[in-house]
Amino acid sequence: MPDERSNGIDRRTLLKLAGAAGVLAGCSSPPGPQKLIPYLVAPEEIVPGMPLFYRTVCRECSAGCGVTARTREGRVTKLEGNPDDPVGGGALCARGQAAVQGLYAPERFHGPARRAQGGRLESVTWDEAEAALATALAASRAKGSPPGVWLLTRPEPGSAGALQKEFIEKLAVPPGRRVVLEPFDLSALREAGKRLFGRAEVPAFDLEQARTIVSFGADFVETWLSPVELARQFASGRGKVGPERTRLVWIGPRLCLTGVSADTWLSVRAGGEAWAAVALLRFLCDPTQGIAGLAREANAIFGALEGFDLAEAERQSGLPRAAIASLGAELAQRRPSAVLGPGLLSSGADATELAVAIQLINYVLGNIGRTVLYGLDPLEDPPSPPSDLRAFLTAAAAGQVDVLLVHHADPCGTLPTALGAAPALARVPLVVSFSGVPDETTKRAHLVLPDDHPLESFGDITARRGVIALSQPAMTPLWETRSTSQVLIEVASKLPAPATPLPYDDFYSFVQSHLGKLFPGLSGDELAAAQRAAQQAGVHVGKVEAEPVVLRPDPGLLRLAAPGPPPQAGLALVVFPTALRDDGRGPSSPWLNEVPDVLTNVSWTAWAELAPATAKRLGVNDGDVVTVATSAGRVTLPACAFEGVREDVVAVPLGPEALALVTADLDAGSGAPAWQAARAQVDPTGRRTRLPRLSATPYEEGRTIVRTVSAAAPTVPALPATGKMYPAPSFPVHRWAMAIDMDRCTGCQACVVACYAENNVPVVGPEAMTRGRNMAWLRVEHFVRVEDDQPRVDLLPMLCQQCGNAPCETVCPVYATYTNPEGLNAQVYNRCVGTRYCSNNCPYKVRVFNWQEPEFPKPLNMQLNPDVTVRSKGVMEKCTFCVQRIRFGENAARDAHSPVNDGAIVPACAQTCPARAIVFGDADDPTSRVAALRRDGRGYNVLGEVNTLPAITYLAHVRDEGP
Amino acid sequence: MSSLASSREIQEKVLATQGRPGAVHALLIVAAAAAAAFGAWCWSLQIRYGLQVSGLNRPVGWAIYITNFVFWVGVAHSGTLISAVLFLLRAKFRTAVYRVAEVMTVFGVMTAGLFPIIHLGRPWFAYWLFPYPNERHLWVNFRSPLMWDVFAVSTYFIVSAIFLTVGIVPDAAALRDATKGWRQRFYGLFAFGWQGTDEEWRHYARAYLYFAAFATPLVFSVHSVVSWDFAVSILPGWHSTIFPPYFVAGAIFSGVALVVTLLVPLRRILHLESLITPWHLDMTSRVVLLTSLVVTYSYILEYVLAFRGPPSVERSTLAYRATGPFAPLFWTMVACNCVIPLLLFLKKVRARPAALLVICVLVNVGMWLERFVIIVTSLSHDRIPFDWAGIYRPTFVEVGITLGSLGWFFLWFLIFVRLLPVVSISEMKEASVHGVEDAA
Repeated sequence: MPDERSNGIDRRTLLKLAGAAGVLAGCSSPPGPQKLIPYLVAPEEIVPGMPLFYRTVCRECSAGCGVTARTREGRVTKLEGNPDDPVGGGALCARGQAAVQGLYAPERFHGPARRAQGGRLESVTWDEAEAALATALAASRAKGSPPGVWLLTRPEPGSAGALQKEFIEKLAVPPGRRVVLEPFDLSALREAGKRLFGRAEVPAFDLEQARTIVSFGADFVETWLSPVELARQFASGRGKVGPERTRLVWIGPRLCLTGVSADTWLSVRAGGEAWAAVALLRFLCDPTQGIAGLAREANAIFGALEGFDLAEAERQSGLPRAAIASLGAELAQRRPSAVLGPGLLSSGADATELAVAIQLINYVLGNIGRTVLYGLDPLEDPPSPPSDLRAFLTAAAAGQVDVLLVHHADPCGTLPTALGAAPALARVPLVVSFSGVPDETTKRAHLVLPDDHPLESFGDITARRGVIALSQPAMTPLWETRSTSQVLIEVASKLPAPATPLPYDDFYSFVQSHLGKLFPGLSGDELAAAQRAAQQAGVHVGKVEAEPVVLRPDPGLLRLAAPGPPPQAGLALVVFPTALRDDGRGPSSPWLNEVPDVLTNVSWTAWAELAPATAKRLGVNDGDVVTVATSAGRVTLPACAFEGVREDVVAVPLGPEALALVTADLDAGSGAPAWQAARAQVDPTGRRTRLPRLSATPYEEGRTIVRTVSAAAPTVPALPATGKMYPAPSFPVHRWAMAIDMDRCTGCQACVVACYAENNVPVVGPEAMTRGRNMAWLRVEHFVRVEDDQPRVDLLPMLCQQCGNAPCETVCPVYATYTNPEGLNAQVYNRCVGTRYCSNNCPYKVRVFNWQEPEFPKPLNMQLNPDVTVRSKGVMEKCTFCVQRIRFGENAARDAHSPVNDGAIVPACAQTCPARAIVFGDADDPTSRVAALRRDGRGYNVLGEVNTLPAITYLAHVRDEGP
Repeated sequence: MSSLASSREIQEKVLATQGRPGAVHALLIVAAAAAAAFGAWCWSLQIRYGLQVSGLNRPVGWAIYITNFVFWVGVAHSGTLISAVLFLLRAKFRTAVYRVAEVMTVFGVMTAGLFPIIHLGRPWFAYWLFPYPNERHLWVNFRSPLMWDVFAVSTYFIVSAIFLTVGIVPDAAALRDATKGWRQRFYGLFAFGWQGTDEEWRHYARAYLYFAAFATPLVFSVHSVVSWDFAVSILPGWHSTIFPPYFVAGAIFSGVALVVTLLVPLRRILHLESLITPWHLDMTSRVVLLTSLVVTYSYILEYVLAFRGPPSVERSTLAYRATGPFAPLFWTMVACNCVIPLLLFLKKVRARPAALLVICVLVNVGMWLERFVIIVTSLSHDRIPFDWAGIYRPTFVEVGITLGSLGWFFLWFLIFVRLLPVVSISEMKEASVHGVEDAA
């Protein structure tokens, strides 16, 4: 143990005040074998049955949303957004919700391991492992200067990154050999910023201000940049009817979720986005259009684009001139706007050109500084330029790398296979992986030194300039893992002379000293107080303003007008990430595998998406196994028809299959991989498979399930009044109700995963999914309709409607389900005998039956919420608006001798919704938000004509056909 | 009535059926027992691993098990109809066939009663469906049609079992007096000390009449209640007011068809051709024909009601039934229930037991399919199209349990025909005496 008072702070006090404390022994930095045993003398902070909350930060992607970890009896059971955090704003995405399954992943490494003879990994002690690494590093250093040591890391914009840099320096390794790998880094945006404004930055965005958002393949509600934050900003302009409602235009070859939320889809040819963007830029700058209020460089830009061939742009982008013109007219009129991109979906060989055009559009429209903000990129540990990665791969392939350290970067599992990371790694004599779970790189690693899970370790990251998120352990490490930063300190101390050890006792003291730098000018008690406040909030928010930019005189615009190769016939490959599967490793946890993709509702497998017309032309039906081949590789996948892809596209979700297909082509401007638009060949194999999917049809089949409104008809017509035989039900205590705004909902499915986490919903696996036995209490249904050749996807989150007149209740022979005095449709699991009559009679089909004994493979069972029963086989189960959370809130109110305040009780789904589309409250309280929303003109009940009197009011999506 | 047997002949013929089973009969018993055992094993798998071993899913929460339940309850209908209703109507052809029908009823209900338990997610708690006083003050939900089923079916079982037992009393006494050894003691048990005095006969006749009057409403109530399982729900395709009469007609249809199915081989195996004559079969098959027409009318009515008026979810469900993936089953059902029975208009067909057997077996196939199609297609096609999951396919466990239920039924039946008279001796004797009087 280090001397805790050496830093002037009592660490124990600090943690306690961080709303935490908990198992302090477990939070101490030198992790050792810690066993979870019942307390003989319980720590005073832990009250059995009461949750303890720890503020920390999500590391599932680089956005850095703050989270609150709920622990019970010393173990984390659920993650929720940290409301004090300006990035996540209290919400979490699906992957953030599933991070807790990463903590309890059964496949996690239990301790350090070394590749033995025969290729198996065998356990070693930490001392042995660190000594082996120190020896190898010393040997490499002895061979010559600079040593053949490389470090591949994910971005670590905080203490961990700073320590890595110091470590590299100690070894006399040039900084360029520390490659910060972010597979989907927006290098093109950085490059464009550099060329246009002299700022190699990824801008931040303020979409709340934007009246029209145009997205060139930037799927910002799912995966792009900081999806939780951007979805929240975007949704703040939704839920209105009329001109003040934010309009969204999606330009891409496939309708991702952002496209589903969009009011207009401009179906651009894959690879033709840059042409469309330049054509738009040209339209805006064209003096004959007479657009007022443009940046003064507009004329010069137009001059540079004089020779731009509009006919060629039409051919290359597949978008008619009229579509560009009407988009341009809208942008001219509705200001400020925001033009977003490129995203992975538009990152082809000319991604930089696209980025340049996009930022110029933003510039001439005056969006920069208002909705597009430069000067907020922390630049603390930005992803390395793509050339650094290529330099590494070249060196590795040439046998010049002696030791490769891989820290949470998986070059073999996240980069296109064609880049050759795997064969390059095979030539490295010592690959050291710090990954906590097996991945493609650990398969090739000689030494695995598993890092602690973020929920088990200290750290900090700078999410953006001025926003420092702090992470702290929420529980004792499960296994004999060790923080990578700690390992680096210990390895440095084991290095033979002339190396000197790093001057830190442990990583915790390094973090402390690093954080001290965040509060310049403070010392003593003031510094301690500031640090305490930051720990307690989980985040430190400094005051940082966006900076103005100046357009450089010669940004190299002429390149934009250069003619490209003629469009090729055949299919173009489009690879896309989804909210559930971010990088090439595919879904990382059982929940993310089980929750179906929202647009195809396929789970547990990747698929090849084709437009129905294309599928018909190729003679392919849903579930037919096809081969998809590009010049890079060939994979077999089940086919799946989807109206939201262009007919000249085959789309494959990111995963090993997509990585095998992406070619080695690069974006000429930035040097990053060109992910999109490789020529692809699709052939049926003649085999069929049953897809593990939720629904057999994506259409409404001539029925009206989902309703929409428009500016012309802003209210949903009321149902015709009919005579009622029975009095309307009344509820003596509360009438818990929910309103779901479908104009805000983006379909990200964070709510679905949150429900799995909160309610101990079991995962059934692909086989049961093919048999229609998904157990989710909440699912996002979708209905596709094609209007004027333009597919529209209507989403519908479906959960128990808590009917006032519930059809399920009357048919249950044993009273296992009944309406309680608070209007909840309660389910008594112990009483259920399993007739399934309630499910048959439920028009929403939101009751799920336990066809088998639920399985929670150890240690995933440690995640189970102790407030919720684990149901057994043969029992019907369902959503009850998180009745355990309702009871918790009611008890808290009773203890405080106060009524339950509106908003004090939030079900898990509403809590995590990034778009804030779900509002929960007491409908009988006329002042509650939900009561107001139930009276909204857009409100309707799904299947209201059945007279089930649901507690859920859906607020209709607004159809906005034009500005 | 063609050739009337004498009283002695009747007694000897029936007595001859009460012996050691022959090779064929014994083989049938073994086969039925094996099928029942296989079904029991399949059920044990289901209890152990849960209903995942079935093909059920969401939205298809009911399928073969409930089909079997309705089928066997339907089959059980003919017993009361033939013994009670036809008794009150003084239909003469009933005498030779009613015992078979009653036996079928009792064993049919015994088979049907298994399925509500088999289909439960937690069958070990099946007793919770009964309203019994308990320390937890739990009660059952009398609003649930499943609860009504519990009472309808158990009432029906009790009444038909009593009716069967009462009817056997004089026969058992006759056999008791004609046998020795354990059979004498066995028959004595069922004879309840019957002496055959005038006094006894007078009470007996009156009691029998009352039982018949008491049982008659059950013919209509039981299957009406079963149909409410569907009609009272709000599922399109189930929620229909014509279900009760439609189901009662269907039940009688399948029940009488099964009586014929059993009688034709039975009269050969047990050499009862002179007692169960072609005339009996002819008259019984006319009931089959009549109910077939009623059932056909119901089918047409169901479609006409759905297809008149504005488009509805019900119309879509019925269109799906006739054209969707289950259409082959639907049209097989129409052929078996509506078209093939029309052959019974021909006297020649009615006169040929083999032809009757084929038709009646097909009717039972058709009626089983009818229930299956109603249950599965409606569930597969509820209001929200997103819920239309994949096609329900039964698994070997469900097929095995269904075969097992057939084995269970026939096991009881095959044992019964060797232990108790399958044709009523007393009523046949009475009919022969009346017949002689009528002839004179």
